[in-house]
Amino acid sequence: MTTLQKDDESTFSNTEPKRVKVYILENNEWKDTGTGFCTGEVSTFSPSSSTSIDSNEDVQEKSAFLMVSNEEFPTNILLKSKLEGNIEYQRQEETLIVWKDLEGHDIALSFEESLGCDRLCDFIVQVQKHIAKNISLVAVRSGDEGVGSIHEIITAPVSLPNIDDKQDTEKLYEALKILNENTAYQFLKNETVEFVLQNDYIKILIDYFSVAEDNRALKDLFLLSNIIKTLILYNQRDILENMVDDDHIMGVVGILEYDTEFPNVKSNHREYLKTGAPTFKEILPLENKDLKLIVKKCFRLQFLKDVVLVRFLDDHNFNLFMDIILDLQTCIIDFLEVDPFLDNILKLYDLTKEEEKGFPDLEEKRNDGIKLLHQCVQMSKNLEERDKTKFYKALVRMGLFNVLSYAFYVVTDPNIRILATETIITIIEHDILLIRNAASKNSKLDSRRKSPIPGSQNSEDRLENLTPMSDEMKLLKILSKILLTDKNPGLREQIVQALNTLLHPEGCFNSLDGDFDGMGSGSMLNDFNYRLNPERDNDFTSSTSVNNEYTSEKEMNTSLESLDNDQEFQLQEYFNDFYKLIAPILFSPMIEKKNTTNKINEEKEQYDDFLLIQLVKLISFIGTEHTRITSRKFILESDILKQVCRLIKPGHILQLRLTAVRCIKNIISLDDKYYHRYLMTNNLYDNIFELLEENKQQDNLTNSCIQDFFKIISSKCIASNMDKNSIEELRQQTGITISKKNNFSVLNKYLVNRFRDKLSELLDIPSVGVMISLCEADKNETEKKSKTSNDHMLSKVDTIKEEDEDVPMSLSQTSSVEHSKKSEIRKRVHEDIDQLDVASTNKIETSIPNGLPPKRQN
Amino acid sequence: MMQIDRTITLLKQGKHITEEAVYSLCLKSQELLMTEANVTHVDTPVTICGDIHGQLHDLLTLFDKSGGVEKTRYIFLGDFVDRGFYSLESFLLLICYKLKYPDRITLIRGNHETRQITKVYGFYDEIMRKYGNSNVWRYCCEVFDYLSLGAIINNNIFCVHGGLSPDVSTIDEIRAIDRKQEVPHEGAMCDLLWSDPDDVEKWSLSPRGAGFVFGQNEVNQFLHTNNVELIARAHQLVMEGYKEMFDGGLVTVWSAPNYCYRCGNVAAVLRIEDDLQRNYTIFDAVQPQDGVGNAIIPTKKSQMDYFL
Repeated sequence: MTTLQKDDESTFSNTEPKRVKVYILENNEWKDTGTGFCTGEVSTFSPSSSTSIDSNEDVQEKSAFLMVSNEEFPTNILLKSKLEGNIEYQRQEETLIVWKDLEGHDIALSFEESLGCDRLCDFIVQVQKHIAKNISLVAVRSGDEGVGSIHEIITAPVSLPNIDDKQDTEKLYEALKILNENTAYQFLKNETVEFVLQNDYIKILIDYFSVAEDNRALKDLFLLSNIIKTLILYNQRDILENMVDDDHIMGVVGILEYDTEFPNVKSNHREYLKTGAPTFKEILPLENKDLKLIVKKCFRLQFLKDVVLVRFLDDHNFNLFMDIILDLQTCIIDFLEVDPFLDNILKLYDLTKEEEKGFPDLEEKRNDGIKLLHQCVQMSKNLEERDKTKFYKALVRMGLFNVLSYAFYVVTDPNIRILATETIITIIEHDILLIRNAASKNSKLDSRRKSPIPGSQNSEDRLENLTPMSDEMKLLKILSKILLTDKNPGLREQIVQALNTLLHPEGCFNSLDGDFDGMGSGSMLNDFNYRLNPERDNDFTSSTSVNNEYTSEKEMNTSLESLDNDQEFQLQEYFNDFYKLIAPILFSPMIEKKNTTNKINEEKEQYDDFLLIQLVKLISFIGTEHTRITSRKFILESDILKQVCRLIKPGHILQLRLTAVRCIKNIISLDDKYYHRYLMTNNLYDNIFELLEENKQQDNLTNSCIQDFFKIISSKCIASNMDKNSIEELRQQTGITISKKNNFSVLNKYLVNRFRDKLSELLDIPSVGVMISLCEADKNETEKKSKTSNDHMLSKVDTIKEEDEDVPMSLSQTSSVEHSKKSEIRKRVHEDIDQLDVASTNKIETSIPNGLPPKRQN
Repeated sequence: MMQIDRTITLLKQGKHITEEAVYSLCLKSQELLMTEANVTHVDTPVTICGDIHGQLHDLLTLFDKSGGVEKTRYIFLGDFVDRGFYSLESFLLLICYKLKYPDRITLIRGNHETRQITKVYGFYDEIMRKYGNSNVWRYCCEVFDYLSLGAIINNNIFCVHGGLSPDVSTIDEIRAIDRKQEVPHEGAMCDLLWSDPDDVEKWSLSPRGAGFVFGQNEVNQFLHTNNVELIARAHQLVMEGYKEMFDGGLVTVWSAPNYCYRCGNVAAVLRIEDDLQRNYTIFDAVQPQDGVGNAIIPTKKSQMDYFL
């Protein structure tokens, strides 16, 4: 925008004639005085002169007129009206200009076309700016739905604050009044904003502020504060940015220390900014001055938003602050991607060039660098998805994984590790493949590296010794080991969150799918392609269909299809690796070691209950979220549930005991035959009932937790029976019926028979009553058709085969294991049936041997 | 106990509590809260308090105006955190009192005492600002999971944060909820924390996207089935501090004056006497003070260094 005084004068000339009708108001009626051509004309002295303005002439001597000459007799002037005084011109709708001249005549020009009206309005605007400053032009439109009218100033004289160097109470008061009034119309507001920026009005206020503060002129100080606040309410980005630049920020926060809302209190924002505020630490010198200024502005805006103006901003202002901050943050992140600054920071972690750094405070710099990266990544959380992807990839390219290795292998301070973990979590929650790529690229570096990583605890931890392990697995292994060894509770929780994300089967590919319709798809795809590239030592035969960055769209689509299969295959591979290589380490505290069965108690002592809580939660997680066949195989073959149930016993903290109960609840809710059988044949519910015994008289969390367990069983029993047996039958008989093939019915029968005494003490719990009556109903039926019941049991064995076919991707390499497992389970089911037959005679407690023969010989 | 007293002093002054201290407080309160029922029994006389929302100084005023925890029994109906600038201090002060006077203070979970909500409405950001990492937020969220879902006074007044649930007809049914979990998106536990009363004929969808809107019929039914005379809840801003509805069968109590430091409302607490008479105390926002009596302006200053 240009200044108020110097408009583009070349546009300011006499206008082209436009066809109009001229009306004059007489006796309250508009009288048509003829049709002609209207022009806007400017003259110096002679009214009839039609020369254009000569810029050398004094503006003051010029006059401007609206002229209409008769269309048939051009010399016949229908109207000649001077633009003067404080005439308000109204543009009504598209084609009318109406005004009352200084003699009191109401005049209206009705234009043939709106274009003509536009021209003359432009003319009036120019005249207002240069010749007759007190006239105004207002657009009048009928309001929404024809009700009322909307007035909008197009041009008008604008009152503006006094900009004398010498301010005083009166001038400030007047300024505040004007600034408030000028918010009423967009035009006035724009002019005011322009004025504030052109005249550096804020600096004028700041200069007077130091005078007023020296004189303890409290009234002036409050006025200044209100003026600044009013200007903030203008909600203009330019003004806000102006306030937070180097020349103004201290003055502005100084003025805002005075607040009429808290007349007896003065804040100390200036002091805080000078001494108490978070300091802007430069780990390495930030050479780029622009970037530095943006960083400072960004911090100052946040300071204004969060501290100085926190109680003042309304949603509107707040959003503008957020928008500007986000914009500056995007700017910072963009800068960092290309500026050598971050690259240099990341080079600090390149352990192969240890000697070249030459910083005496290298360790501190490295730790601060992790804080910085954490901050960058936190900042990037608000960015658009595309920008995030771009930035994270840049970080990966610059060597983010070196930083993580450093944090996990060298650093012992849990606070630094926490920040590193938080950083990973943010990135993998955005796109898990980025970190996996980081791992894969880094492993190449590692394998080239000759010297061991300094500070690694023992040789086993060194990445190069884990060569058979794929890259992702290394990351999982690092995290697992930290979880098992680091006792910091916050870090543990974060590691578990990271593991949850890394091990979430959907997390791995959802982001990829979601991105394909967006702009980011190409890059994400290419990222993925890297993983499949033949240069990696994997034997993916499908890698031929995969292309480099220059893949054309068509090719990309074809490769996409093959990717779907590859993805599935890879996912399977990934989880197979996890169960083979990582899970035994991660869950080692939960797995009995074969040769040390007698020393179980000693073994588990070294792991604290809080760690075990996390591990039990992770077991729940893999059991419920992972492909059933894979996770179940691991969980059952390593007898983890036995250990989980052992944790329900006294001697552990209650939080852990209940977490274990919840894990069992989650597992049975899967409605999975194998789990159900396993838990029953091993009598793993006994400890839950022991725990109940401790709490049966209490109304506490434990009691509720176990009531919930009963509720799950009773409601699932009923729910699964509803479709099979008619509801009428249900009502006619005991009110409930039972199916023999249902997992929960079997479980219910087992529990009622085994714990009848305990349960019958709990009949005030509704679901326990349901459980018992369901069992009774079943017993009655069983007695009726005792022969057929056995057949039902046997049919279970046949369904096992079908179920295996349901499971996606049954894996060739594990099929032999599966096969042996199948027959093993068959064996168990037969044992089951034997026991359940005994159970139906209601003597199960004495019949089941406590230690069943070993299930597996491997 | 010494440790708790020291922490209380620091909290009242709005001073920083170390991460380790917060962790140990959180563990202790887990152990204590586990012994409590989903619906805790409380005796009269007792003072019922509504939303606090991190307005530490107003919470201090509340204790001041209503007798103080040394002499009075309290039930807090939840929403201790978010919005205000002292969520952490407010919540920690309450659990310190809980640890010090276990029988004199009952804490009920509000819909803001969840991981998901606190990430959006301020508590998470407050922790990041005050500690630079999210650990303390995690510790507190873990405690949230152990908070009770409701309370019952003299078997006569049912207290809950939000309101009723179509899945809960008797108070006893609430006992069968395993409350140690993030508040689910639906079901009884969700509804108790999210529902609102209104002039509706039957259970209706809530504009909040969670819980239900219930009317006089549902309230009468619940009061009758459970043989109680009043439902005391919070969850909605009331400019006058409290609002009775449905012929006095339900009351909303709101205890955050000048909510969000700008709503201009007054706050109230409800004292239930031994004869079940209801006495409301109204109080206003006051100029906050630091520990030594200097007036301060609530803000959210960052304590962390910045690198960018």
